[in-house]
Amino acid sequence: MSDGKPTQAPGTPPAGMAIPGNRTMPKEDRLTPPVWEGGRAAPPNGDFRMIGKRNRKVEGLAKVTGRAVYADDLVLPRMLHAKLLRSIHAHARIVSIDASAALALPGVHAVVTGADMPTHFGIIPWTEDEQALCTDKVRYVGDAIAAVAADDERTCEEALKLVRVEYEPLPAVTDIETALAHPEWQVNEKAGEGNISKHVRLEFGDVDGALAASDHVVEGDYWYEGSTHAPLEPHCCVAEFDSTGFLTVWSSTQVAHYLHRDLAKVLNLPTQRVRVIQPVVGGGFGGKSEPFSLEFAAAKLSMVTGRPVKILYTREEVFYAHRGRHPMRLRYRTGMTADGAITGTDALVQLDGGAYSSFGLVTTYYSGQLLTAPYALPAYRFDSTRVFTNKPACGPKRGHGSVQPRFAFECQLDKLCEKAGLDPIEVRRRNFIGERTKTVNGMRVTSNGFLECLDAVERESGWAAKFRRMPYGRGIGVAGSMYISGTNYCIYPNEMPQSAVQLRLDRSGRATVMSGCSDIGQGVESVLAYIVCEELGLDLRDVRVVAADTDLTPVDLGAYSSRETFMVGNACLDAARHLRLKIAQTLAERWGVAAGEIVLANGVACASSDPGRFAISVKEAFQWAEARHGTLGSVGWYQSPKLGGEYRGGTIGASPAYSFTAHVAEVECDPETGFVAVKHIWVAHDCGRALNPVTVEGQMEGSAYMGFGEALLETQRYKDAAPGHAFGLHHGPSLLDYRMPTSLDTPELHALIVESVDPEGPYGAKEAGEGPLHPSIPAIANAIHDALGVRCDALPFDPPSVMRLLRAGEARANWERARAQVGGPR
Amino acid sequence: MKTAISTLAVECPKHLKHALTLLHESLATERLTPLAGGTDLFVYLNAGSHRGTRFLDLAPCAELRGIKAIKGRLRIGALETFDRIARHPKMAAWPLLVQAARCVGAAQIQNRGTIGGNIANASPAGDSLPVLLAYDALVHVASVRGERTIPFRELQTGYRQLALEADELIVAVELPEVPAGAKQFFRKVGTRAAQSISKVVFAGVLVPGRGGQWSHVRLAWGSMAPITVRSLRAEAALLAHKPSAQAAAWADVALGEDLVPIDDIRSDAEYRLSAARHVLAQFLRSSHAGFRG
Ligand SMILES: Cc1cc2nc3c(=O)[nH]c(=O)nc-3n(C[C@H](O)[C@H](O)[C@H](O)COP(=O)(O)OP(=O)(O)OC[C@H]3O[C@@H](n4cnc5c(N)ncnc54)[C@H](O)[C@@H]3O)c2cc1C
Repeated sequence: MSDGKPTQAPGTPPAGMAIPGNRTMPKEDRLTPPVWEGGRAAPPNGDFRMIGKRNRKVEGLAKVTGRAVYADDLVLPRMLHAKLLRSIHAHARIVSIDASAALALPGVHAVVTGADMPTHFGIIPWTEDEQALCTDKVRYVGDAIAAVAADDERTCEEALKLVRVEYEPLPAVTDIETALAHPEWQVNEKAGEGNISKHVRLEFGDVDGALAASDHVVEGDYWYEGSTHAPLEPHCCVAEFDSTGFLTVWSSTQVAHYLHRDLAKVLNLPTQRVRVIQPVVGGGFGGKSEPFSLEFAAAKLSMVTGRPVKILYTREEVFYAHRGRHPMRLRYRTGMTADGAITGTDALVQLDGGAYSSFGLVTTYYSGQLLTAPYALPAYRFDSTRVFTNKPACGPKRGHGSVQPRFAFECQLDKLCEKAGLDPIEVRRRNFIGERTKTVNGMRVTSNGFLECLDAVERESGWAAKFRRMPYGRGIGVAGSMYISGTNYCIYPNEMPQSAVQLRLDRSGRATVMSGCSDIGQGVESVLAYIVCEELGLDLRDVRVVAADTDLTPVDLGAYSSRETFMVGNACLDAARHLRLKIAQTLAERWGVAAGEIVLANGVACASSDPGRFAISVKEAFQWAEARHGTLGSVGWYQSPKLGGEYRGGTIGASPAYSFTAHVAEVECDPETGFVAVKHIWVAHDCGRALNPVTVEGQMEGSAYMGFGEALLETQRYKDAAPGHAFGLHHGPSLLDYRMPTSLDTPELHALIVESVDPEGPYGAKEAGEGPLHPSIPAIANAIHDALGVRCDALPFDPPSVMRLLRAGEARANWERARAQVGGPR
Repeated sequence: MKTAISTLAVECPKHLKHALTLLHESLATERLTPLAGGTDLFVYLNAGSHRGTRFLDLAPCAELRGIKAIKGRLRIGALETFDRIARHPKMAAWPLLVQAARCVGAAQIQNRGTIGGNIANASPAGDSLPVLLAYDALVHVASVRGERTIPFRELQTGYRQLALEADELIVAVELPEVPAGAKQFFRKVGTRAAQSISKVVFAGVLVPGRGGQWSHVRLAWGSMAPITVRSLRAEAALLAHKPSAQAAAWADVALGEDLVPIDDIRSDAEYRLSAARHVLAQFLRSSHAGFRG
């Protein structure tokens, strides 16, 4: 993932990330995208007819009427069910596995263990440290060991009880301190040394000098409790290995392409004899963005039995599959001048990674790389270490890697503003990095609507009348953030496009879009349909989207890093414009008008100079074009331009466009019980252009909700040893005990869309699915400070923690002091 | 391991008497587990922690339904759901039970969960239980041998244990009239607004007597001990006293001696106790200006 040139990093280059000898790095030559007259942001027909309108989602009706087909709805003839045997130890050597009694149980068809597919895999090619089923060690309570296929789930469970596993328990590591203190208790043997999963240290500019020259320096220690995604749909897959030796896997995945590759690798099948299909997925949030034990196990069991096999995780198993947000310990030093200019930041970060790498290499970079906007940061250093522990692996959760540092940094800013006696919104404005610029770590920024975001939340929240002006117990806080619209690399090195679309038009007047993109509820299939409708004048009902089927659709890398709308949207826009051009030329020739005059809108094709004379239906236009050019089809693809800093790791965090967000949260706290009620969150988000405002608002509200839950409620703890359960067991792997907010807890969410119209996004669009989560947590923490005079530096801000803070410090006096600074009516 | 529903059997009695006979006869082999709304039982079945495979559906027993006022007292059939209780017009004189009913789980749980099930399940966190204690409720139970009445206070014998015979069913709860002029207070402290198990649940009744002294005091707590408890020392600190800041302070100290909270993953003991003190203080403040001192 280096840029190929041995350039010297501005800081110390990080160790690790050696590229295996058998892999070649891409040359950095990029495909050149087509250039359209008027650019990609402009409407094709004068003004927008579909884009920017409050349209329905293409799959919405099927979902609300219960007709959408999810993986667990699939039933194939002769299908078997399978279940996984999971470890009861946090850390143990597997001495032996005896499945003979299980196999003898009537109704059981097969048992597979790690020995049947020992090949290591991992989503990041440099850290392949997982096995489908453990062969010699288990690394967390819930690690998968064996899989049983039987006539029904019940028989599977009976059989699992009969599998004899002999363990040799090992000392378990369940926190960062122990992981570092006991390198000899090695959790994952693939680690370079001890329990270090990844270490990154990068420095940009003279940090120590900048801090020394600052008028104010604040130092803070922060703790970010991890959290899990909890999608409504548990992981599920059906695998069928047919008599020709062809494997089909239907899975609730958000990365069909990566799953395709890893299935072939682990099962030792040629990739062209594996097909992955993603049915409708009931939420992912990053929790389904890599292969899991169930897909390999179902496939292997199907290969062994010759029958289709289904595996559906229980809710409890979803907690063990995890890949949720990393717990992080963060130490920040941040400096500011007396008039509010940020001078420098020094960050020391430790990540609790759980038992496997997952996306951890990227997470470790993201924990530093994504902090360098929306504020100009003249000097910046981060030193991040990810450790392995005997817990379910952490990975990407909505806002991958950057939600935790953002929490710490935005709290730092609030403390600095308090020190300097400045308004925190004003300070954020003063440090605005600007548009068409570069960050200190070399990230290119194109459009940037952050100032409009700040204006919007300031205005809508009534900030000026509330900040430092409400009675004790009530408060308001602000925070800002940035996020990527996709990254500029595929996670395995190659020179091919990151997204692609094939589009075909039928003489019936119908269009079919085929793309490997993954709709996990965020609405990318709808985005493709809107784009085709906009370009070709079709009705939403006349476009079919065929997505995420590796046999039928061209590769798209999947739903992660907020890449879909930007990347596959661009691919689709190109494909549709190629065909639009063909149609326009055909009509222009026939009518003897200029091609630029042709309008395709609302089912009609006409010449704008004389629509009374020159007008036919779009369907007829397709037929004329087919008669003139032959069968109508086109392709579009997206590959990002060369981006990123000229140093090792400088491409991680580089994105073709960044989204920007500002939040203001208003809280009401009970100083007697420590209970914090968040009353309102105003979310302003620069998404470039809202292709459909309803879905953008949905993403903004959903993000703010999710961040709010992490801030106040969600805990991710593992129990000590006690009678009845093992050490390292998740504290409550159910939706009753894992406390996410209900609708009754949820504040009023006010989504305020800001459109900066990005020059490179499809119609100017950027991401909206992850960015709006980031400021939730620090905005609430800062609001609690405004309300109570305590600083919540550790998540979650639950009543016992808030009570402890209230008892420990001189909350009321701090509150009075802060109030006196900005006090007095303005 | 999840219990497969297909392996379970459900007996459907014709009426209460039949149900009691079936239950009694089942003791010879495997005891039938009474099944009301199923909102507790299904959780156990899902977790594989319920051993029984045979159930007695109480739904056909019309005798277990109905909310009736008799001479100022209220009789609530064991099968009445929390939703029905919360909506019933006769409940107005017992507002604490209405408030508690509205706190159980969320709408779906209130539609199915019954008061009999809440009592029989005997969780220390059962939300209706402190209310029953504060109201001096009586519980009517029945078996093939006939009916008997047990004060709710005496029904609970230990953690998830009741003074019920294996072949007895809860038939109804009876709430005595609340003395005129009573100050009543209910508060559930949970981690979220719905679907949350209580950290502290409290029901309190204070009745002013002649001369302004409290003549009747009930302070009942859930989630603070293995069973639902009254804080007797704190009650004594208020009984026969006039509302004053002093009395409130005594009650607060006494409460610390009364309650030795359970420490579990949901909340640490220290927090439970401090929350309980705040709840009591809130009750006292809201019941009489005199407590504010
Ligand atoms: C998501 C969820 C949230 C919940 N939230 C709360 C909450 O906030 N507060 C709270 O208090 N509870 C809560 N509960 C627990 C449950 O809903 C209540 O305890 C409810 O009152 C149980 O009633 P039921 O009719 O469903 O009982 P069932 O599940 O049918 O039975 C429970 C037990 O009582 C026995 N039983 C039932 N009726 C009788 C009878 N008449 N005579 C003798 N034995 C009987 C059964 O045999 C069984 O052992 C929650 C449960 C769930 C699933």
